[in-house]
Amino acid sequence: MPTVSERVKTVTAKILKLDPKDISDTADFVRDLGAESLQSIELVAAFEEEFGIEMNEDEALQVKTIDKAVSFISKVMAAQGKA
Amino acid sequence: MRLCIFEDDTFDNLYPLTYLRPMFELKCGHTSLGQKLVRTFPGLPPAYFVRKSIAPTFAKRTGSPVNDSSMLTGDSVLLANGRWLCLGTDVKAEGPDEVGLCNGEVIYVRASRQTAAQCDGSNVFQFIETAKSKLPKKEVKATLIGYPWHLVNHNGEAIEADFKALGKRGIEGTFSQHAAVWGDEGSVYVAKGAEVQPFVCLDTTHGPVIIDEGAKINPHTRIEGPCAIGKDTLILGGKMRAETAIGPVCRVGGEVEASIIHGYSNKYHDGFLGHAYVGEWVNLGALTTNSDLKNDYTQVQVHIKGKLMDSHDTKVGSFIGDHTKTSIGTYFNSGTVVGIMCNVMGSGGVLPKFLPCFSWFFNNRFSRGYGFKALLDTARTAMGRRKKALSPEDLALLEYVHHITRDEREELIKKSRRELLR
Repeated sequence: MPTVSERVKTVTAKILKLDPKDISDTADFVRDLGAESLQSIELVAAFEEEFGIEMNEDEALQVKTIDKAVSFISKVMAAQGKA
Repeated sequence: MRLCIFEDDTFDNLYPLTYLRPMFELKCGHTSLGQKLVRTFPGLPPAYFVRKSIAPTFAKRTGSPVNDSSMLTGDSVLLANGRWLCLGTDVKAEGPDEVGLCNGEVIYVRASRQTAAQCDGSNVFQFIETAKSKLPKKEVKATLIGYPWHLVNHNGEAIEADFKALGKRGIEGTFSQHAAVWGDEGSVYVAKGAEVQPFVCLDTTHGPVIIDEGAKINPHTRIEGPCAIGKDTLILGGKMRAETAIGPVCRVGGEVEASIIHGYSNKYHDGFLGHAYVGEWVNLGALTTNSDLKNDYTQVQVHIKGKLMDSHDTKVGSFIGDHTKTSIGTYFNSGTVVGIMCNVMGSGGVLPKFLPCFSWFFNNRFSRGYGFKALLDTARTAMGRRKKALSPEDLALLEYVHHITRDEREELIKKSRRELLR
């Protein structure tokens, strides 16, 4: 069973058209991975779909890095009983 | 005697145009359906009956009573259907008690004070039902607006009727000596403070042209009557073709044909808009274009209440809800319905024929975008630029519409998300 971190990287790679191996734990979505504003919206949507959760758009779009996304998503999953 | 204008229960056939306003506030011609009723029965103080959700915002806009049932029974009353496109009628305010019907639909109820007092005045629908059971019925000829394309189809004749009712002709504003009227000069009215700049042609060979107060028509504009340019509207060059009503406070360029732009909306750049109705606070990006005719000349289907419906018409454009924005190069198919507060980004192809309220559409997928709060922030910014603001009542109504449209929006967003990870 892949970890939350692995799943976050897989989804990120798919949306941003990258190789998951090139995504580090601390990679910044915009600075390091080149996410544009519309791709950020797609990332939020894709994480919601992947994890079966609903995230607050404002809060989700404040998350800047892979590791922070992992902890944010884990927190939302726990709160929504999806952990 | 009072004039009571009521909204019947078919308001949702006119979505997305009626999410934020009653049916009789929709424009057909230079004025709204309600304004036409009020001028047809002059001297009668109006009162209005609308659905509960829009009553607070509408009450703020009108100085007249709204949903006050005492208006039904305290005096003699002429109760008029707000969908009635009244461009001249034999119906008089004074006359015998009766219910006027057209194909089974109530056009008006005329009741003396005594008769009105005997009707159930607990709400307008009860009042109509008791009036129907007590009063003689008379079949009358009338036009009732049923669907959005009806407003567009009657727009030309409505502009002509508005021009006649206005009773004004000639140039009260500025008309450049290098501008021209092609056709009857008596079919032009340029109001006080309006400005027709050089190299503008007003073509009245097929109908009148109204240019209302404070409107400015920039050079290289051709306006073909019947056409009405509303107060403080700026036309930035291009072809304003017959049966078009724009304004107030719009900025429009490019090519517009047989369309209604409700007010406070912009289509600043080139691009074609035909047989369309555009709500308030809409911004159409450069080269936004709608089709209004299918390549095989067959009748256009329109998304009404969750289903595609045959308009029985071959010329049907798009119906765009309030506060919606489109990107550069957005292409709408014939009969497209776009909800309120959408953010639409064209990606080269023709877009879906239905875009639910508050949705974003980009990369050929639906999304919540930055969410409801961000859409409200954008609306506040756009309105602030015209010195207007969202009131607490407006906000409550938008929240309500966001709630009632949630299921249809989420269904499409979910479909898009599945495609995203496929």
